[in-house]
Amino acid sequence: MVTTTAPPETIPAGRKRSPSPKGRNDRSRFLPWAFLAPGLVIYSVVVVYPMLYSAYLSLFRWDGVAPKKIFVGFQNYVTLLTRNEVFWVALKNNAIWLLAALLVPTSIGLGLALVLNSRFRGSHIFRSIFYFPAVLSLAVVGLIWTWIYHPDLGLANQLLDALGLKVLKRNWLSDPQIAIYPVILAATWNAVGLPMLLFLAGLQTIPPEMHEAAKVEGAGPIRRFLYVTFPLLRETTLIVLAITSINALKAYDIVYAMTNGGPANRTQLLSTWMYFLTYNYNEVGLGTAIAVVLFSLTLIFAIPYIRMMTRKV
Amino acid sequence: MSQVSTASSSAEPKRDLRKSASSRGRGKAHAPRVPSVKVTMFYVALIVAALIWLMPVITLVLTALKDAGDFAVNGAFSLPKSIRWANFSEAWQTGVGNYFWNSVIVTGIKVPIGILIEAMAAFALTHMHFKWANKVFVYVLVGLIVPMQMTLVPLTLLMNALNLIDTLTGLIILYIGFGVPFGVLVMRGYFRTLPTAIIEAARIDGCSWFRIFYRIALPLALPAVVSLCILDGVATWNEFILAQIFLRSDELRTLPLGLVQFSTQFSTQYDQLAAAVLISVAPVMLVFLLFQRYFVAGMGGAVK
Repeated sequence: MVTTTAPPETIPAGRKRSPSPKGRNDRSRFLPWAFLAPGLVIYSVVVVYPMLYSAYLSLFRWDGVAPKKIFVGFQNYVTLLTRNEVFWVALKNNAIWLLAALLVPTSIGLGLALVLNSRFRGSHIFRSIFYFPAVLSLAVVGLIWTWIYHPDLGLANQLLDALGLKVLKRNWLSDPQIAIYPVILAATWNAVGLPMLLFLAGLQTIPPEMHEAAKVEGAGPIRRFLYVTFPLLRETTLIVLAITSINALKAYDIVYAMTNGGPANRTQLLSTWMYFLTYNYNEVGLGTAIAVVLFSLTLIFAIPYIRMMTRKV
Repeated sequence: MSQVSTASSSAEPKRDLRKSASSRGRGKAHAPRVPSVKVTMFYVALIVAALIWLMPVITLVLTALKDAGDFAVNGAFSLPKSIRWANFSEAWQTGVGNYFWNSVIVTGIKVPIGILIEAMAAFALTHMHFKWANKVFVYVLVGLIVPMQMTLVPLTLLMNALNLIDTLTGLIILYIGFGVPFGVLVMRGYFRTLPTAIIEAARIDGCSWFRIFYRIALPLALPAVVSLCILDGVATWNEFILAQIFLRSDELRTLPLGLVQFSTQFSTQYDQLAAAVLISVAPVMLVFLLFQRYFVAGMGGAVK
């Protein structure tokens, strides 16, 4: 370990190993890589390499089986944009989903966090209750809500019956005009927990003196929220918005479990349509092209997030 | 790590309740506690909201306890005429038991291996004075945002070439790979809070990096390890899309996949299906109730 080339002052007499944290010799320069290797290798093989290869495949026409792939340049993207009607349906659904995810679960999460941040008897129980749906798998959430939307036996229509609102009864998941909204509502139920948790954590970092000071100055609860709490939650809010939008674009299982893209492809998302094209229609080129589009959309929301995560070094 | 949840007890309450709490304090400690109208209203509102919020779960439990006929006549949201536990055993025997054990195997193997390699990587990134640390971290973070769809086709080819399609081993390898970004993020967040002095001191005493990691850093990071265990365990238990693509035979299916399959096969047997869903949810519910504060701590670590 101790090499004669190392500067003598870094090797106090009698030491077996170099105490230098800077790693002046070959062995300690290599060591961090040894620690990183298992994680980096498996991550590169399973995530990074397939990602790049998908981007490459999106330039070919291929059925996934044939020995020859035909290079078509950006033709797959052109086909999607001009001749694939479902692609536009999926894109629109993704946009609706994203908008809903940015507004609804985030606001509910913030509201719950503000209420449950104060200490009162049972506040922890209520936190658990409102967080709970977030630990369920989206496939399970989808199944549970499918029953709620059952046309005859489901809670949704029974409730409307009980309230005397029969006119509003729908065949929720098989009406092509509206089917995506009940699915989004089910996803929202699952998506509230995380923002709530993050906002709660953010609220705890606000020193109580700030509120005391604002109160002494005569600020009411609303003004205190607008001028004290909310500005101090700025960073938390950005993280929440980034994470919810990334998660919204990843949505897949819940649609698969609830509608499987139907009726008549009206509830397809880019993620599910990619699956259909690739695995049901063997259009690997089109499928990977959709994946690239989906990833590019995600990047728009993720870049600020990644910059924020790496800035605090 | 747990400071997030413990801080709540010291954090000053700041809503209406506080007024009543502080006025209670002013009126001497031994004054009888009569809840004010405001407090009662507050609780009533919260309880109603919580009940509405849990309605889907309540419906699920009620359905699982009824027999099919009761469900068909009275629908989901009514108390069962008689409790029918047989739903659970029937669901278990129709395959859910099998799915359950597959999920246990996958989660039980994936989580410890994953955490070990994630902790090693995070340790190198935080304490080993490593020039490329930040670049490597960004490289790893990209994995947090990659949609699964972006990897499916090449992974299918790869798994095919390695003969790992339709094996739990193959699925576990994929899960470990996809778990790296989040695990490194959480562990790095915690390792950064460990004082460098401890590690430097061990270095000066001639301790090797492996020993420092194993004997000092990892034990000190126990709260983060527990948080990650739970978050990662739940995420693995719930994973759907990779299982859907890479498991083909029924006897290998994990729970989420098996349940969706079960629901298409037995689409009218709501009672059994609800029981099956409840079986899959039960372990997650249990872990959540027991280790709740670690969810907060782990998430906090991920964004710090």
